[in-house]
Amino acid sequence: MSATEAVSQGAGRRLSLTRGSQAALFVLAVVLLCRLLGAQFEWLVKWPAALTVPMADWMTWLVGGFLDVFKPIARTFTFLVSYPMEWVGWLLNAVPWPMTVAAVTAIGWMIGGIRLAALGFLGLMFVVFTGYWSQGMNTLALVAVSVPLALVMGAAIGILAFEYPRMKGAVNALLDIMQTVPTFAYLVPLLVLFGFGPVVGLIASAIYAAPPMARNVLLGLERVDTEIREAAVMSGGTRRQQLFLVELPAATQQIMIGVNQCLMAALSMVIIAAVIGGFDDIGWEVLQTMRKALFGPAFLAGSVVVVFAIIIDRMSAALAEPRQPQNRTVAYGILAVGAAVTIWAVLAGWPPSGVAAMDGLAKRVDEGVGVFTATYGTTLDSIKNTSMFYGLLPLRIGLAEAVLPFTWGFAWTVKHTAMLYGAALLISLILIFKGRVTAAVMVLIIAYIAEIGVAHLAWPVVILGAGAIGWVSGGWKLARLAVILLSLILISGLWERALLSLYLAGAAVFACAVIGGLLGLWSAMSTTAWMVLRPICDFLQTIPLFVFLIPVLMFFQIGEFSAFIAICMYAVVPMIRYTRHGLVSTPDEIIEAATASGAGKWQTMFEVRAPFAAPTILLGLNQTILYAFAMLVIAALIGTTELGQLIFLALGQYDVGLGITAGAAMAILALVADRLVQGFAEERRQALGL
Amino acid sequence: MTDKNSTAPAIAVEDLWQVFGENATSALRDARGAGDDKAIAQTLKDKTLIPAVRAANFEVKSGELFVIMGLSGSGKSTMIRCISRLIEPTAGSVRIDGEDILQASDKRLIDLRRHKLGMVFQHFGLFPHMTVADNVAFPLKMQGAGKAERRARALEVLQMVGLEGREDTYPRNLSGGQRQRVGIARSLAVNPDIWFLDEPFSALDPLIRRQLQDEFLNIQATLKKSIVFITHDIQEALKLADRIAIMRDGEIVQIGTPEEIVLHPVDDYVAEFSKDVPKGRHACVESILMDGIPDNMPDDPGIKIGMTLDTALTKCMELYEPVPVRNAEGNVIGAVHPHELANALQAEET
Repeated sequence: MSATEAVSQGAGRRLSLTRGSQAALFVLAVVLLCRLLGAQFEWLVKWPAALTVPMADWMTWLVGGFLDVFKPIARTFTFLVSYPMEWVGWLLNAVPWPMTVAAVTAIGWMIGGIRLAALGFLGLMFVVFTGYWSQGMNTLALVAVSVPLALVMGAAIGILAFEYPRMKGAVNALLDIMQTVPTFAYLVPLLVLFGFGPVVGLIASAIYAAPPMARNVLLGLERVDTEIREAAVMSGGTRRQQLFLVELPAATQQIMIGVNQCLMAALSMVIIAAVIGGFDDIGWEVLQTMRKALFGPAFLAGSVVVVFAIIIDRMSAALAEPRQPQNRTVAYGILAVGAAVTIWAVLAGWPPSGVAAMDGLAKRVDEGVGVFTATYGTTLDSIKNTSMFYGLLPLRIGLAEAVLPFTWGFAWTVKHTAMLYGAALLISLILIFKGRVTAAVMVLIIAYIAEIGVAHLAWPVVILGAGAIGWVSGGWKLARLAVILLSLILISGLWERALLSLYLAGAAVFACAVIGGLLGLWSAMSTTAWMVLRPICDFLQTIPLFVFLIPVLMFFQIGEFSAFIAICMYAVVPMIRYTRHGLVSTPDEIIEAATASGAGKWQTMFEVRAPFAAPTILLGLNQTILYAFAMLVIAALIGTTELGQLIFLALGQYDVGLGITAGAAMAILALVADRLVQGFAEERRQALGL
Repeated sequence: MTDKNSTAPAIAVEDLWQVFGENATSALRDARGAGDDKAIAQTLKDKTLIPAVRAANFEVKSGELFVIMGLSGSGKSTMIRCISRLIEPTAGSVRIDGEDILQASDKRLIDLRRHKLGMVFQHFGLFPHMTVADNVAFPLKMQGAGKAERRARALEVLQMVGLEGREDTYPRNLSGGQRQRVGIARSLAVNPDIWFLDEPFSALDPLIRRQLQDEFLNIQATLKKSIVFITHDIQEALKLADRIAIMRDGEIVQIGTPEEIVLHPVDDYVAEFSKDVPKGRHACVESILMDGIPDNMPDDPGIKIGMTLDTALTKCMELYEPVPVRNAEGNVIGAVHPHELANALQAEET
């Protein structure tokens, strides 16, 4: 990257440039090079096929050999785990539902009194009436076995990382990988290892659910007050006594948060794992009905998933908070009523697999959607088409290709290109005149992206651009990391797919940043707004990824736009939350100082709160990016052409190498984006002295 | 105060260093060549290491209440953690009843802590998941004491600190003062010989603080522990201490009785501490005795050994000639010049 130095030194002599503008100028130079010479030297734009490395094949060979070694062990494990799973499944199915409902209601009562008892009762009764009782119980059986696995694994990792600080770095990296590699990608090797069937889903969900537990155990242990720790030492406890009698119990609250996240992750993954396991569970039901375009049943089955998610989430979250002890007699009473109803139900011959009283509802939803799409079809189509033709498509393939007489009413010509760059140059000159060099250079780069589109960006621009951003946000180390990781994707031959992923995730993140940022700002200014938005955010964060696809499909059918909407719905939440949180958590003293200086409400917001909230908002953006990438893979189910689709392909073909390579490429994109934004957040935090 | 010279020191600290940073031990070894302690510390600082405790030397006699005082960041908390070996000192030795605890094995250390050492923390360090009684009984549990025995002893100590009846509440339901009483009770549960207190009253309201200080003195009067007490409050130090060590930048700048600290500060830093202290209330007449006893003393206002300067001055307001100082039996053992009395008190005004 000696070019940067050349540019920065060359420019630095005359006017002192900030780090940001140096990087921007460097990227602009790369852009100019690629744009002007791209026609003569094709390799500048498109990485030559001759230089790609058959990474996927190597992976197949490497991992395949590795997997063969461990296959017998894994298969034994499958065999062993299938027993408890079957037992739990049998038990949950054998117990008559009035008894189960009563048990959950009683547990709800013990944990959170009347509120959670009511939630448990109404929720499970809903499941009973949908007629999906036995599917639901099969899903719960999977969760019931995978969660203890994940908890033990997670706690062990967390304690290990805490006890041996030297391993902390390695453990954190491992957890990052476990969470950023798209879940479907490691389903492929797991399939090979553990064979087909529900056990794979179980193990995948345990792997997916362990990291949040590990992180929270580690965090909880680290946050135990030093004096409490020292008090245990001075009491003469051995290391093991300190850990198990004092430190872990003192960290209970944080650990319970981990348990809650672990449960939710396991449930989410168990549902997704239906894609590989032909098993009679609720995820399978959702997938089947969705594939057959039976929106009513899909909607009902999806609601069952949501109900499970909400019950599990609220109950386990209540465990993390201090609570009042409840009257046990009430719980016994509820169980007694349950037993009585059970006997009566058996005598009356109620079906054990739930009362399918809502089939009518499913039909009505189906018809309703039918009528709705028939009536408002043109409106829906026009929303979809407008966004596609004027937003997503130009972003993907650039104005030069997206502007057609058919959509925009005119054809793009050289004249328009000249106009675009002319306008960009004008704005840029004005900005330079105002002394905002970085912004000026950025305008020119954006014009380039608008002209040719994200999917057609020349590879040096992307890689060196990411490197330059890394240099600004985190110095040479981060720049090097970004360049090396992205180059790996380039030479693996997955570059074009990766750019498509980048485009779709980028578009969604941008939309989320704008919408989420505004909603966050609004909730920070108005308590009423937050009262409305908060339950919506809670709801959106509770429901498993998979379920987002159902309503989108109902209204927009399959396609890129539906994927985009689904990603936005899921990824917008952290942006709203963090923006609001950052804006409202400015220290009171600072607000008072601003008020005392005579600042108005909006002045305080933009002059004081916003700068103070910047690191938090950046963290929100970071979360949004990770959420978007996580959803990207799921969204591939409803028709995208990027890396996510490759992963599905690999899954279908049992292709370990392709699955891992595509998964790794996706993880690299997410990881690089994550580190770049975190770098900026860290820089802001330090600037604010936090 | 001084009649315990005969017994061996409870704690003896010799050339104790605590350096924070990478490769501190070897860096300190290399820096030893630099000359005196100040030069060594400077050499370490140049290597971006932090010498938090420098060449500390002192002894705590058996039954003595030894206060370490300094501003925040002066290394006093680090010091007490070195002595209790909550952190590993970089160099030096700490002897507790003659045994070098820096050489003690982990097993021996656990044993010492279970039986001999007790510690009270600034922010109490109570276990949030245990009741008050369980907190207090925790060190006994570590000893392996039975449930009934633990409970009985916990109630006993809780009574000593005036918390009877609160044994089954949780720390979160107690006020700050009550919490620290639990902390004190816990540290006394195993009846330790050595008692470490790390700014025990600093997090409390002034009123509660004074109350707890008085109770603490009462407890000490009956238990006679050897105590290392950390504080940043000069008034507290003067009120409680048999002897005070004053720390600055990791260095002990002066060790002395409260009087010595107030009347003869070694430098401006120490003087600054005692600036606002009403000296008359802390210093006694023996600190300003004349060299000899004049033959002719016309007045005898009845000055006695152990009388504070304030009291003495009120007795000889109108006098200009030296007056005799008598001991408890009434024998003249020295003389004081009223002029000196006034001078000693005026020193603080400037």
